[in-house]
Amino acid sequence: MSRLDWLVLGATLGFIVAYGLWKGRRQRNLDSYILADRKLQWPTIALSIMATQASAITFLSTPGQAFADGMRFVQFYLGLPVAMVLLSMFAVPIFHRLKVYTAYEFLETRFDVKTRTLTAVLFLIQRGLSTGLTIYAPALIVSVLLGWNLYVTNLIIGTLVIIYTATGGTKAVSWTHVQQMLIILGGMATALIIAIRSIPGDISFFEAVRVAGRMGRLNAIDFSFDLTTNYTFWSGMVGGLMVALSYFGCDQSQVQRYLTGETPAESRLGLLFNGLVKVPMQFFILFVGAMVFVFYQFVAPPLFFNTAERAKIGVSRFAADYAELEDAHRANFVQKRQHVRELVTAMRADDAPGAAAAQAKVRAIQTRDAATRKAAIDLIKRNDATADVSDTNYIFLSFVLRFLPIGVVGLVMAAIFCASMSSTAAGLNALSSTSVVDIYKRLINPNATETDYVRMSKWLTVFWGGFAIAFAMYATRLGSLIEAVNKLGSYFYGTILAIFILAFFTKTVGGTATCLGAVVGEATVLYFSFFTKLAWLWWNVIGCVVGIIAALLIERLLPDREPDEVAEAA
Amino acid sequence: MTDDRPPIGRSWSTLYIAVLVNLAVLIIIFYAFTRYFR
Repeated sequence: MSRLDWLVLGATLGFIVAYGLWKGRRQRNLDSYILADRKLQWPTIALSIMATQASAITFLSTPGQAFADGMRFVQFYLGLPVAMVLLSMFAVPIFHRLKVYTAYEFLETRFDVKTRTLTAVLFLIQRGLSTGLTIYAPALIVSVLLGWNLYVTNLIIGTLVIIYTATGGTKAVSWTHVQQMLIILGGMATALIIAIRSIPGDISFFEAVRVAGRMGRLNAIDFSFDLTTNYTFWSGMVGGLMVALSYFGCDQSQVQRYLTGETPAESRLGLLFNGLVKVPMQFFILFVGAMVFVFYQFVAPPLFFNTAERAKIGVSRFAADYAELEDAHRANFVQKRQHVRELVTAMRADDAPGAAAAQAKVRAIQTRDAATRKAAIDLIKRNDATADVSDTNYIFLSFVLRFLPIGVVGLVMAAIFCASMSSTAAGLNALSSTSVVDIYKRLINPNATETDYVRMSKWLTVFWGGFAIAFAMYATRLGSLIEAVNKLGSYFYGTILAIFILAFFTKTVGGTATCLGAVVGEATVLYFSFFTKLAWLWWNVIGCVVGIIAALLIERLLPDREPDEVAEAA
Repeated sequence: MTDDRPPIGRSWSTLYIAVLVNLAVLIIIFYAFTRYFR
C-alpha cells in the first residue's frame, strides 16, 4: 500500500474510534449504556442493523464465493425480507411493551428463569465465537498484506474496537454504524466500478456479463430441490427464513439495535428498510465477484491466491512439482482466453452454434484447470498438513491490492475494516449486555446500583473482547469465512428460534418442556451435522421443528401444572 | 394508539405488502437474469 492508502485507512479508523468515544460519552445508567436512552430514529436503526450484519467477512468472502461458485449464494438471503415482516408484526410490539433490555428477558416473563438462562448461555457461546471470526477476517488481510504476525494483528484490531465499545456502549456502536455503513457502501461501489473498468477495453460491460453467465457465474436462482445442495431457492426461502428469524429476532446483537427505537414504529421501519435493501445489496456484492471473475479471464490469475501458502510451497521439496502445475495453469489460461475471445466474437455475430462450441471449449478447459488446482492443493497439503487450502477469502483481496489505483486501495481497505469493526462492536455490545442483564444482574448481584451495572458492562465488554480475540487466533483452519460464520450460527439458531416461537405462539407449553425440547432439538442438529450430508441451511429448520415438536410432546407427558401456573405463563 | 400509524406509508399492512412484493419482483428479476445469461 502507498502512503496515500495508509493515510486514508489511518484517518478513517482514527475518525471512527474518536467519533465513537465522543458520541458515547457520559453513560450513567443501563438504559443509556445498553439502549442509547431508547431515543434512536429509524434511519439510524436501519443502518445499524445493516452494519451489524455486514461484517468484513461479507466484503471479503462473498465476492470470492461468486468467483468460485457463482452468485447462487444470494439465495441464502431470500427468507430475510419475510423474516423482517414477521418480526415487525410479532416481536417488536412485545419487546417494546415489556421494555426489555435483552431478548432473553422476555423468556422469563413467558416461561421461567431457567429458560431465559439457557437461551442466554447458548447465545453467549455462539456469539462469542462468531465475534472472534469477525475480528479474524481483517487481521488476515493485514497479515497477508504486511507480513505481520496474525496473532499480533488480531490483538491490535480487537483492541481498537474494545476501546470505543467499552467506553461508549450502544450509543457509540449505533452512531459509528451509520458512518461505517456509508464508508462500506462507498467502498463497494468504487470496487464494482473499477472491476468493470479493469476488463479489457474491447469488451463491453454487457459482453462481460454474458461471458460471466456462459461460464456459470450468474446462477442467482436455482429452483431444483436437493437437500444436499447448500444454496437453492428452497433452502434460502425455508432455511434462510429460519436463520433470519433467529438472527434478527433472538440474537441480542441484532435485537439490541432495534430496541433502541424511540417507538415501536421506529424499530419496525428500521427492520423493514433492511428487508427492502438487503437482498439487492448482497446481489451487488456477489456481482462484484462475478466481474472480478471476468477480469481474470483476460489477465492471468495465480494458481493459488493465498500468497503465504504459495511462498511456503515455493521453498519446499515440492517446489519443482508446484512450478510444473503453475506452467500447466498458465497454458490453460492462454487457451481459455483465446476461446473466451471466440465466445465474445460469436456472441457479437449472433452466431449461436459458434457461441455454444466456444462455450463448450471454455468449460472443458475450466474442468481441466480445476483438476490442476486440485493437484496444487494436494501438493500444498502434502507439504504441510495444517496448510490453509481454502483461498476463496483471498481472491477479492488479491484483486484489490494488485489492480486498484493508489488511494482507492486505502478506501476499500477502510471499508473492510469498518465492516469488521461494525459487526465486532455490535457483538461485544450484545455479549456484555446479555452477561450483565441476564446473568450478573438476574442471578448474581440483583441489588447493585446503576453505576455498578454500567461499570460491570464496561468490564464485560473488555472480557468478551479478549475472548473473541483468543478465538480469532484459532480461526485459520475454518475454510470460507462467510460459510464458517453462518454454519456456526446454524448449530444454534434453530433451537433458539424454537424457544422463541413457543414463547410467542403457544400458551400452554411451560419452561421445563421448552428447555427439554431445546435439548432434543440441539442433539438432533448435532446428529445431522456430524453424521449426514444434509446442507447446513437445513440444520436451522431441523433444530426449530424438532425443538417445537419435542416441547409440545414433553408438555403432554409432564405432570399437569396448576391452573394458576398455566394462566400466569399464558 | 398513535404508534399504529407508520411515519411513512398509509398503514403497516401496506408496508409489509410492499416488502414482500419487492422480494417477489427481485426473485423474478434474478431468475430472468439467470436464464438470460446462462
